[in-house]
Amino acid sequence: MPTPTFNSHENEGQSADGLSRRSFLRSAVAASGLAALAASLAPLRHLNDFPTVDQFLQKYYKELTPEEMAKVLKRIEDEVEREYGLRPHVRDLKPMNGVEFVYALNLTRCIGCRKCVHACVAENNQSRTPEIQYIRVVRLPHGSLDLEKAEHNYNPEMVPEEGYFYMPVQCQQCKNPPCVKVCPVHATWQEADGITVIDYNWCIGCRYCAAACPYWARHFNFTKPSIPKERLNPDMAYLGNRPRYQGVMEKCHFCVQRTRVGRYPACVEVCPVGARKFGNVLDPESEVSYILRTKRVFVQLKEELGTSPRFYYYFDV
Amino acid sequence: MRQAVRNYLVFLWRSGRLAFVGDWRYYAWMGVLTVFCLLGLNAYAKQFANGLIVTGMSDEVSWGVYIANFTFLVGVAAAAVMMVIPVYIYNNEELHDLVIFGELLAVAAILMCLAFVTVDLGRPDRFWHLIPGIGQFNFPASMLSWDVIVLNGYLLLNVHICGYLLYCRYRGRAPAKWFYIPFVFVAIVWAVSIHTVTAFLYVGLGGRPFWNSAIVGPRFLASAFTAGPALIILAMQVVRRVTATAPAGDAAPLGREAGAGQRPKSRAAALGDLDLLARHLAELSSVSEEVRQSVLAGAVVLEAKAGDIFLRQGETEKLIFFVLKGRVVVKREEGGRLRITRSLGPGEQFGEISALAGTPRTGTAIAEEPALVLSLSADSLRKLMSVPRMNKIIRSRMSERLLIADRALMTLRSIVQVSMLINVFLLANEVFKEFYSGNLHVASSKYLFLGLHGHHALVPWIWTAIVFNLAAMVLLVLPVSRSLKWLNLTCVLCIVGIWIEKGMGLVIPGFIPTPLGEMVEYRPSLNETLVCFGIWAFGLLCYTVFLRMSVPILQGRLAKANEGQAGFGVSGAGPQPAAQL
Repeated sequence: MPTPTFNSHENEGQSADGLSRRSFLRSAVAASGLAALAASLAPLRHLNDFPTVDQFLQKYYKELTPEEMAKVLKRIEDEVEREYGLRPHVRDLKPMNGVEFVYALNLTRCIGCRKCVHACVAENNQSRTPEIQYIRVVRLPHGSLDLEKAEHNYNPEMVPEEGYFYMPVQCQQCKNPPCVKVCPVHATWQEADGITVIDYNWCIGCRYCAAACPYWARHFNFTKPSIPKERLNPDMAYLGNRPRYQGVMEKCHFCVQRTRVGRYPACVEVCPVGARKFGNVLDPESEVSYILRTKRVFVQLKEELGTSPRFYYYFDV
Repeated sequence: MRQAVRNYLVFLWRSGRLAFVGDWRYYAWMGVLTVFCLLGLNAYAKQFANGLIVTGMSDEVSWGVYIANFTFLVGVAAAAVMMVIPVYIYNNEELHDLVIFGELLAVAAILMCLAFVTVDLGRPDRFWHLIPGIGQFNFPASMLSWDVIVLNGYLLLNVHICGYLLYCRYRGRAPAKWFYIPFVFVAIVWAVSIHTVTAFLYVGLGGRPFWNSAIVGPRFLASAFTAGPALIILAMQVVRRVTATAPAGDAAPLGREAGAGQRPKSRAAALGDLDLLARHLAELSSVSEEVRQSVLAGAVVLEAKAGDIFLRQGETEKLIFFVLKGRVVVKREEGGRLRITRSLGPGEQFGEISALAGTPRTGTAIAEEPALVLSLSADSLRKLMSVPRMNKIIRSRMSERLLIADRALMTLRSIVQVSMLINVFLLANEVFKEFYSGNLHVASSKYLFLGLHGHHALVPWIWTAIVFNLAAMVLLVLPVSRSLKWLNLTCVLCIVGIWIEKGMGLVIPGFIPTPLGEMVEYRPSLNETLVCFGIWAFGLLCYTVFLRMSVPILQGRLAKANEGQAGFGVSGAGPQPAAQL
């Protein structure tokens, strides 16, 4: 029969000797447990991108007062200088009144040379290893816009090729952006000039926006980005091309550091065939307004999804 | 108030201590789990330092096995609480204690879910951005913000319900209905919501045609109600096994040893005996003198020495017993093993369920120490129960009996059976729509089921899942799965099949090909796999501790009543050596 459990003391019947052996064993187990815990946490000694207290406590972009923003910008300049040995100029550029940017891309002209891709990487301080690029140029067979048939690995030395055309895809700056809708922390939003931006200090890196984007435009820093010091572009914007952190999302922002001070995006400037047009659609005199007014056919990629891109593909003939 | 807090802390302390007490099998099991937890923690520390680059994920496939496990476990959590429905809505007594085990499983599953989302974050240090009021919470636009609310809410609900019921059992008092029944009903609706919201995470993405299908929500529920109860069936058998005292064969069926197993001496009961009972059962004082007198007619007091038997499993006689003094243990022989169902002290009753229902005894009651027990006829009990306060206490105790009967497992089996049929049917619907219409969006399905452009990493997986699910479905429909051996095999098939189907088979192909038509495959890295094992080990560790704490309480072995009698013994809840019998 079972011994009555409730009346028996746990250590009943044990000699003092047994007790001390037991307590010795207990402390040995506890000590080796702690040692194992410490050993398993050892990799934390080599933290890549651990946040400083200021970074950790930084407020949300839209809640920063101008004074706080000035401090943040200075701190970021210090951080970049420490890391790259070069003092950048980081600005918080706001959208201009009466401006809505749109992009128009002439598929008849594009030759698939990928110069835009590399100009973008240089301008926007994108990570070289691992490689992050905002623009993906694909090759499609004549007559089809079916992306399932897209060739991503064509050789840009051989372009243009007979029977194919080329289509660069980047952030389409949707009027109804799914990425903004799904972000759980408002780390990405659409600004008054139509540009969808990311606060790299607020993004938690859940990558839900990457899953939501139908254009594969959002790219994630799987590790700390690396940029050669001599290639760093020191002309930076908070919502634009300042160096990103490990574990955050980034994407094309129409080169806010240029376009919000009246310059063209880098990809527009570099295009050797003039396939890329950019401007203010609210200005009836602008080139993009003219294109949208006069071209009989233009394409908004995956129009059926209702994202309503501000990026228009058109044809000459 | 102060006393209440003290009582509660003592309760937590005493039950918490149980987690550190057990026999060598318990220590071995906890040791293995701890090792896996530490390996996982180490792998996560590497990921935390170097970023998600140490996983197999990429820009092309930006969610992997973390989110796959998360999705599966939300289902387990949701299904675990759905056990509640048969109990509270259909009054199925058999499942009653399973509910607490089910809800504890839900708690463990939610903890794992939260761990899986946390390890998936690129910036876990910015976790606070998600806290409503402190951070920026994109509610209601982002489905992820809904998920944060429903998962944490569900965690709190279940912690409250289990904690309260267990605490009441510990205090030996009936739980106040208003303090848990409303929460139970909220939890039922909430369970559906957590899985629906998780499905909507995927369904809401127009740019991913593979997920953008209205049937994903119902599929999630069907697969959850298959895998969840299947997991509970297996877990309950483990619980049953470790709470069993010894194989019944060796047990010298219930005290055939010399001097034991006798029927106790009896004498006619007197009013003084009822007064003795009233001291431990305050509700008896509300019974009028008249009723007491009529109850006494034919009542008998049994004077038992340790080992005497009051009633035997399988017998049918309509007597009900109240313990007046000493302790009585109830054991049940089941599946070839004998286990302690509960241990009763003064004021508690046994034998009432079968006496009232006229069914065979489901266990054997033995005096654990010299005991005084009052025996009444079923009719006398009915007379007592005509007094509202007595009725309430006796009914609430009846419904609190710890029973993991085979019949309860069979009830779960029928839930799994129906759910698996629906699950397979819904999958067939999805496959038909994808392949028959054959539009451009079939690429992901083609990749998953047949392979696309020379890439077919997932093809063997999904067909394994389909074979497992179909095999499980056939087994569930056949009577053969009524035998526990086959039922266990079926449950394993269900769990593995569904883990693949809705984890890897749903999350990964949504990303392949990319929205721009590129084919990049995904394979979890070793580091990522270790993190997953670590989280599973952590979940099992939590569940083991929860069971370790709750089983003795449900059995009545850990109670406020025995608070002073220090040291809840090692032999209490854990497997006892056969020699003790």
